[in-house]
Amino acid sequence: MKLLHVKQMLLLCMAVVAMFSMSAHAAKDFADVKVVLQISDPNPMKQTLVLNVANNLIKHYGQDRVDVEIVAFGPGLRLLFAENSNKDRISSLAGNGVRFSACSNTVKAMSKKLGYAPELNSNAKTVPAGVVQIVDLVKKGYTLVKP
Amino acid sequence: MKTVLNKTAKFVACALLAGGMVQSAQAANWLMLQGTEPTDSAPRAKVWGFIQAQYQSDSSTPNAGQGYIPPKLIGPDFTTQETFNINRARIGVRGAGMPLDSKVNYFFLAEFGNNGITAPDGGSAKITDASITLNHIKGAKVRVGLFKTPGSEEVYQGIMIFDYVNFTNYAAQQLIERVPNQNYTANISPQTLPIGTSLNGFEDSVGAARDTGVQVFDTFKMGNWEHSYSVMMGNGNGLNTTDNDSNKDTYLYWSSELVYGGQGARREGMKFFAWSQSGKRLLDNTNDSTHNPVAYDRKRSGAGVAYLKMPFRARFEYNKADGMIMVGPQSATFDMNPAGAPGNGENGTASAYYLDVGYYVPGTNWEIDGRYEVYNRLEGDQFETEWVTTTIGAQYHLNKKTRVSFNHEMRDVEAIKFATGAGPNAQVDGIDARTSVQLTHIF
Repeated sequence: MKLLHVKQMLLLCMAVVAMFSMSAHAAKDFADVKVVLQISDPNPMKQTLVLNVANNLIKHYGQDRVDVEIVAFGPGLRLLFAENSNKDRISSLAGNGVRFSACSNTVKAMSKKLGYAPELNSNAKTVPAGVVQIVDLVKKGYTLVKP
Repeated sequence: MKTVLNKTAKFVACALLAGGMVQSAQAANWLMLQGTEPTDSAPRAKVWGFIQAQYQSDSSTPNAGQGYIPPKLIGPDFTTQETFNINRARIGVRGAGMPLDSKVNYFFLAEFGNNGITAPDGGSAKITDASITLNHIKGAKVRVGLFKTPGSEEVYQGIMIFDYVNFTNYAAQQLIERVPNQNYTANISPQTLPIGTSLNGFEDSVGAARDTGVQVFDTFKMGNWEHSYSVMMGNGNGLNTTDNDSNKDTYLYWSSELVYGGQGARREGMKFFAWSQSGKRLLDNTNDSTHNPVAYDRKRSGAGVAYLKMPFRARFEYNKADGMIMVGPQSATFDMNPAGAPGNGENGTASAYYLDVGYYVPGTNWEIDGRYEVYNRLEGDQFETEWVTTTIGAQYHLNKKTRVSFNHEMRDVEAIKFATGAGPNAQVDGIDARTSVQLTHIF
């Protein structure tokens, strides 16, 4: 009987941990406003700008009422490199529920150029194609903004 | 005269201290700002630069024969006591040539203005910086090429945000190095106006606190503190990108900064720093037709503290020079007494300290600056000369990239082992105030 309780408790804990880890990349289904931000530009100022926009959305609507996903592809993928100078801001925004998607096609292309696969920010989730991710999100009612 | 000036200088410095001080760029990490780019967010090529247009007026008086020495005239040409000038006009490009790979970045800058960098070469453009930094080894970044050598904060900082129009006398004479001429060049005597013979006896560009070589450096963060080091080896031949002898200069630098916040050139913090540079210079100082240069030691060192927390800034530096003491652009022999046994410049010493304070007036675009400098040249020598200068200044910031600077320098110079009007004092007694206005625009 006791063993069963322990097992149940362990399973419950695992489930809670799994839920939390999933929530970092999960859409906020009950958000009033859903925005997908595109970064595909090589200009470093755009990196700052897209993070500023995400931050402003969170500040304006509140963390629970806005769902923000930043999709990086092409030259804009540099934003999601592990050692990017904005990594602390990315970490902070991820803590506020902002999701970061990295284009796998771009990662492959960049790997060929570099000769090795670039290490990505731990807050970034890879998606098959950045542009497809944006199209899918728009279909789901997200507003596309390209700062 | 000297006593009155000294008192005035001290009074102004004390008044500024009592009233609070400056703003601006004091506690930035110049090692990183000049040698690296932000990781994975550097552009392929960022074009940047700045222009400084100025007007300067010198109220010094000539010697008894109406002759002038360089400190009484406006550089780099030393032909007049009042003039407009485009002192600096620099354009450069920096970034990461392959933006995907943040482990390699570059820095290129050229000077088109009229100053000690360009004037000796005929006033044309001159490359001042061309370097590549390799960031592959954690804790040991490697920078190769021509670039500023870590040292005194006054000259190591990005000059476009320097709070004064002119350097301190010590920096202008002992840190902005005059590279010795290839062959013996006699000293030039004081000149009457209009100038018939150039008072600049040096053939090459000033060293501009730069050298060509290899530098290993990095910065380590520990809580709110940031510790930086740099070790460098270079030709020791200024802006000349090749060496003229087999002797290499070594440069050591350390800084520890308590960072208050902000970033870039205007980061707030309190930085402690110390540095040393040592090398040898070839100088042909025998007045004969034979090329027989001798290698003399040239050592420079210093320590200081820089503080910035708006609306105040302050900086103090103590500097020492040992060997190759520059006694004026008219003296390519490095000797104040060429009639006697040669050697008081090349084997001499000098030291200086300065206190620089500033206050950014809240709610306005005005900044008030004050600097007090004491500089002893050829210490212990018969020709030891003391330079005491107080500079009061104000800057009006039209925007973050454009400002007008107003400076008034009260200078008092004396060869302390000679009576007034005797020996070198016949020349330096007349060194007096210098007033300047400068418009700076950074792009």
